[in-house]
Amino acid sequence: MKLRLRLALTVTVMTVPGVVGMGYFQHSLRQRGQEEVLEASTLAQMQAGERERCEASPETWTVRRAPPPGEGRSLPDEPGPPREPGPREREPRTDGKPPPGRGPERPGRSPSRVQHFPYDAGLVSRNPRAPVLPEALLRGVRAGQGVVIHHSTQAGRPTLDVLLRMPWDGGPCAYILARREEPRSPPLGGMPPPELLVVPFFAALAVVVALGPVIRRVRKLTGEVRASAVSRYQQPVSVRGNDEVAELARAFQEARAEIQHQLSQQEAREQALRDFLANTMHDVMTPLTVLQGHLSAMQQRLGRGEPMEPAVMTSAMGEAHYIASLVHNLAAATRLEAGEPQFQRAPVDLNSVVARVIGRHQPIARQRRISLVSGVPEAPVWVNGDVTLIEQAVSNVVFNGIHHGREDGHVAVVLESTRQGRFRLRVIDDGPGIPEEERARLLERGFRGNAARTRGIQGQGLGLHITRHVAHVHGWTLTLQPSEYGGLEVGMEGEVSRR
Amino acid sequence: MGERILLVEDDPQLGAQIVEHLRSAGFEPTWWQEGRHLTPEGLPGVSLVVLDLMLPGTYGMDMLKTLRTFSEVPVLILSARNDTLDKVRALKLGADDYMTKPFWPEELIERVRARLRRPTLQKAEAVVEVGVLRIDLQAHEVAVQGQPVELTRVEFALLAALARRPREAVTRQWLVEHVLDPEREGTERTLDVHVSRLRRKLGPMHGVETVWGVGYRLVPGDGS
Repeated sequence: MKLRLRLALTVTVMTVPGVVGMGYFQHSLRQRGQEEVLEASTLAQMQAGERERCEASPETWTVRRAPPPGEGRSLPDEPGPPREPGPREREPRTDGKPPPGRGPERPGRSPSRVQHFPYDAGLVSRNPRAPVLPEALLRGVRAGQGVVIHHSTQAGRPTLDVLLRMPWDGGPCAYILARREEPRSPPLGGMPPPELLVVPFFAALAVVVALGPVIRRVRKLTGEVRASAVSRYQQPVSVRGNDEVAELARAFQEARAEIQHQLSQQEAREQALRDFLANTMHDVMTPLTVLQGHLSAMQQRLGRGEPMEPAVMTSAMGEAHYIASLVHNLAAATRLEAGEPQFQRAPVDLNSVVARVIGRHQPIARQRRISLVSGVPEAPVWVNGDVTLIEQAVSNVVFNGIHHGREDGHVAVVLESTRQGRFRLRVIDDGPGIPEEERARLLERGFRGNAARTRGIQGQGLGLHITRHVAHVHGWTLTLQPSEYGGLEVGMEGEVSRR
Repeated sequence: MGERILLVEDDPQLGAQIVEHLRSAGFEPTWWQEGRHLTPEGLPGVSLVVLDLMLPGTYGMDMLKTLRTFSEVPVLILSARNDTLDKVRALKLGADDYMTKPFWPEELIERVRARLRRPTLQKAEAVVEVGVLRIDLQAHEVAVQGQPVELTRVEFALLAALARRPREAVTRQWLVEHVLDPEREGTERTLDVHVSRLRRKLGPMHGVETVWGVGYRLVPGDGS
């Protein structure tokens, strides 16, 4: 439901009962007044001499003096104060006229009129025109009430009956029934006058008119918010004024800023993920293709009954080894980029790390006729760190040594602990080494991304990048220098944990 | 017949490969393709367990936990997830070693051998025999093919240091620090001089090998 319709309906629903209630209250107040006036005036008239006249001729008695209170004017008028029992000397004009009760009604005015009928103690009237008393009145008298009031409708006219017990006993006029007949009224006599019913209408109209500008602003804001959403929240909404609508616009502006922030973060993450996936695909698929090529070549040679080519076999194994190392590195890179919470720090035995790394690369080194050896202290060297990352860091350096080494070359892993509670792990080779400027570049912070992934002689690749990062998060120093055998010596140094 | 090894591995191809490699390396493998509830009776004469962590049915860690309630048999964990938490947990639960997939068969065999060898190595022996060498660490006596050889104090300390960890390379730095006389100026150059003298005294089957980039180690000499 529209706001305006809703508010107009609400206003109407809220005011109509109020107006009706007020009308009803007014109506009952007036009724009450009429009752009191009729009662008081009847009693006063009777005491002022009408008793004698009544008792004298109860068959034909009517109150001498005419217009009873409230007669002659329309309903909304409050009945006037009960008239002073008029002096009898002022002979009423009605004298001699037919009793008002049955007089012809003045057309158009439909006045109210009052009639009086006497009843004796047995509630029997000598006046033949006296009406039979309604049951309600009889019940009231029997219950001992001095004044019994009864409202009814006689021939379509609202009728008020007030039955009074006179302050004397006996006689034909022990009870007087004062009957007031109202002019014909529209149905629902308690309804307020039509002019009062206009109030809810005008209230609703006022609301509708007053709401107009507000509705227009809300509509405008709605349009702007929709447009903003279409523009992925780039487009701002206008904030004017200081009321609730402006507040809503401001709240939307704040929400828009937050959404934009989240969106840009999410987009950055998605972009990183897409890059990562694309690079990973490239990195893994290329060696996998080479591996497939080797396998296919071997299969063809087998089919032709030719002997296996050791070089192809070696290369195939090397590719498989490279893929494994790469996947481990990618996993490590993901964890390193996710940051600190991903590291699991626990005591790590470097001796067994070295043993595992040697074991992992020995089959490939052997095939390439590279001697891969290690020397570790007799007692385990413990450090505090993430064993997976540390192992990968060492493994990468060894991998590079083997990968770039020459046939009949050497790679040695030497682990030493110093008396100062530090360890030194060196990976030495006699390969081609790395020129000085390249070494410096490899150790630069932020040397990452695609350049670091390059497979080839100039790139020690993603591996060294990971190693540098792992050393960094463990607080170790990483050094690259020429080895005394002409190749490269990669050193890692750090603190030994007390255990 | 070789030593019995229990392999718990759910992948049929990898399982079959490992069984094949263990067998050709002289072991006697028993292969379980799914995790089972381990009981002391279920492991007759098994000297080592190779356990894959990602098993359907029983989680490998639970098997390890159960196993450790009644047995001290060495356990080598295989895991495809290169996850530190897994490793730390497995070691805490009593695993002896772990391997991350992928691995080369040689690597696995080597690790199994190393694990089976370990207990005998940990005993501090008074007499070490390597090849034709017999070194009495307490009596400070050395014999080659039964013939006593006279060594200087430093030469004996050098040989003893290598003999305590046969086949393992000992770094030059360690030897310099622990073997050479701290009173005199000791350098790696001095160490090399001592080594060549030692080799000369022990004869052609000395077994004192130079390890490239590391230092020296003692292996059974073959005279070459």
